[in-house]
Amino acid sequence: MKTAAVLIIAIVAQAAGDVCLTKGMKALASLDATGGRQSESLSQIAHLALQAAQSPMVWAGTLLLIVFFALYSAALSWADLSFVLPATAFGYVLNVAAGYYFLNEAVSTRRWAGAVIITLGVLFVSRSGHRTVETRGDGLLIARGAE
Amino acid sequence: MITALLISLVVLGGSAGDVFITKGMKQLGEISTLHVGRLIGTALRAITNRYFLTGVVFMAISYFSFLGALRLADLSLVLPATSISFVLTTIGARLFLNEKINPTRLAGIVLVCLGVALISIPSQP
Repeated sequence: MKTAAVLIIAIVAQAAGDVCLTKGMKALASLDATGGRQSESLSQIAHLALQAAQSPMVWAGTLLLIVFFALYSAALSWADLSFVLPATAFGYVLNVAAGYYFLNEAVSTRRWAGAVIITLGVLFVSRSGHRTVETRGDGLLIARGAE
Repeated sequence: MITALLISLVVLGGSAGDVFITKGMKQLGEISTLHVGRLIGTALRAITNRYFLTGVVFMAISYFSFLGALRLADLSLVLPATSISFVLTTIGARLFLNEKINPTRLAGIVLVCLGVALISIPSQP
């Protein structure tokens, strides 16, 4: 239950963070007169970084991604990596949906199919139990129930 | 050739990073408090934990290799290729963290890997 709650908040924070970052960075790119992706001299990169640092959207996105990483690490303090990592892949599905609804991106049939397959995979993983190891006092990881 | 090397670094670095971060967090012990002071204390212990820091360094290597790979190859090649990291990380968790991968979990991970590969191939314009 705790695992589910922490991971759901983590995934939503990540998807919201990605949307904020995309919105923020796209707004910068459209302000940029030269526009092209090819332009990448050092001074232009520094200029873009400075602009990004002044964008509230970029800050919001970065903070949300820090929240994601903190919750992800917290979940790893008790749950299996081979559970947490595939479970957070549900974030890809949210990203496709968010891109469609909030960023007006066109989503192909193949990407929707990918989203459905990921959802299935996450359902399977969530049925597999979230913890198979215990940590002993000395930090050694041993199979659960072996002691 | 360099592209292949960089993509390998993205995948290997990411998987190694996840394994080390998990090892570090497991060493700290299960977090089961909402007390702000204790959470800050745990965060401080995490960012000074040797395994956790090693994991973060691997993550950084993976991220910068990703940026490098994008300069040489299209996102349509790089992004789907990185979906293999779900399988590789699972192998790492099995070997180095002693996690048991039962058939249900394995099936789920393979599906996730396929789905992520499908999603990350950009649509043709």
